[in-house]
Amino acid sequence: MRRFIHHSELARDSRFVRQDNAQATVLSQLPDDVNAVVEVFDRFAPAIERAVKGTAAEPLFEAYGPGFALVTLNEPLRPGDPAAKTRLMLRMHGIYVGELQALEGAGRSLWDFPEAPWEFKLNMARQCWDEARHVQIYEKLLEHVGGSPGMFPESTFLFECACSDDPAMRVAGVNRGLEGLACDVFRDMIRYAEQIGDEKMRQAIDYVLADELTHVRFGSEWVKEFTKDDPEHFKRTQEFRKQVDKQFSFGGARSDREDAAIPIAWQDRKEAGFTDDELTELLAISGGGPSKQTLLSAAKILRERHLARREAGSERAT
Amino acid sequence: MSEPRLYPGTGPDERTSFTPYGAFEVPADLRELFGRFDVEATARRVRNFRYAEEWIMLTLGGWLATIPEVPVKTGLGKIIWESAQAADAFGKRLPELRCGRAAVAASQPSNAGFAGLIQAIAEPERPDLTIEKLAGAFDVLKPHLLAVYERTARETDPITDAPTIEILEDVMRRTRRHVAWGDEVLERLCDTDGRRERRRRRVVELRAALEACGGVTGALGDEALQAQ
Repeated sequence: MRRFIHHSELARDSRFVRQDNAQATVLSQLPDDVNAVVEVFDRFAPAIERAVKGTAAEPLFEAYGPGFALVTLNEPLRPGDPAAKTRLMLRMHGIYVGELQALEGAGRSLWDFPEAPWEFKLNMARQCWDEARHVQIYEKLLEHVGGSPGMFPESTFLFECACSDDPAMRVAGVNRGLEGLACDVFRDMIRYAEQIGDEKMRQAIDYVLADELTHVRFGSEWVKEFTKDDPEHFKRTQEFRKQVDKQFSFGGARSDREDAAIPIAWQDRKEAGFTDDELTELLAISGGGPSKQTLLSAAKILRERHLARREAGSERAT
Repeated sequence: MSEPRLYPGTGPDERTSFTPYGAFEVPADLRELFGRFDVEATARRVRNFRYAEEWIMLTLGGWLATIPEVPVKTGLGKIIWESAQAADAFGKRLPELRCGRAAVAASQPSNAGFAGLIQAIAEPERPDLTIEKLAGAFDVLKPHLLAVYERTARETDPITDAPTIEILEDVMRRTRRHVAWGDEVLERLCDTDGRRERRRRRVVELRAALEACGGVTGALGDEALQAQ
């Protein structure tokens, strides 16, 4: 078996549909400019349409056009909002496939670095079990809210961004970047579960969040260990983590901005070993990108164009 | 009359009035001293066991990303952790067997043949090879380890080497569960004659390699003969 696989090689059964990762990468780099956002999503429209074909996201595409993700991703989950159930399933599905990729990432950290210290392997093996349970938990939660695995397309963006070939950067990417994002998302989901009085969801996610804090701590400790006596390596690793944090902020959707869909779980992150300096840096990194108003304006234009194209298409057909 | 002494003195007339009592006599301790393996031999075996468990953990970890069946991925997650715990427990026993404190992370294959067998088991990579992957780990390697662990626990000195037996009992309990899980998954996956044949072929091929190298301790043939 080879060491270091490409994210496109992550194996899935026939229920799953793969989405182009470029969309998520581009989203993390968008400027605060309505026309630029519209241009990018218009360019991706055919790829987005292909990815959602036959999935539960197809009706969203039909209704909103290629910018549907701008609405679903950038609006906080609130009970009673229009399409709240679909957006909840979409987020739950995103977490489910994220846990699958975290499981695969932890497993590959074992195989890709056989010469790593034993304690590191022990931590990664434990993480494999934890992530496997998280996959099982989120599969059940997904069913609990009316969804099923494979109902939405999967982007392997998380694995692609986090899984570096360097062990220090791998743990910085997976254990601090990806698992840090999980802390933010899970704290937000716990808040949502409390709002709707769903005790089953609240309790399950609270346990998962406790595991994630442990995984971030693994990352914090191993970044230090792998880069000790090598300040240059430590610096490069920190740069890599910042880049991952920027990508995982989805253009400000995960940030401390007032209009953010997913706020940063400051307290959980501190408990997991992030320093005040790192968190202040994360606020600066994640807060950039288009404002919510920009994204909603872009989504409106994209929807109008999409509906116009659909109408023109049906006229040609008749 | 003087007070009864609490501890015996040095002379025969200074014995205490306490009746002899051995905890092992209730019930009678029927165990006998002497086992097949001395300290060095046990240390060698434990290093070999640790090697096998560590490589199972690494291999299953690598496969997680290349196996498409989600319940197989999640089932392997727990087995990875339990194999890691087994390797860790074996490692912690090594300094107690005069291998030095640094030996906790010491793994050693019995010979190059067994190291080659492990690599052969880890070789399948493509997503359509789940049967070959699981057959190697759960039809061949784990049942072999279980058999050797059982024999070691039975034949080592039950008193002097009791700490090794304690570790083995815990590892065997989990390994039996792993073998049963693997068998159940393979039964489901091998639902056509063609797939059952793939499983059979893989087992035959790897068992031949296992017998040729002498297994995890490198002494499969010798031990089988001695056992008879």
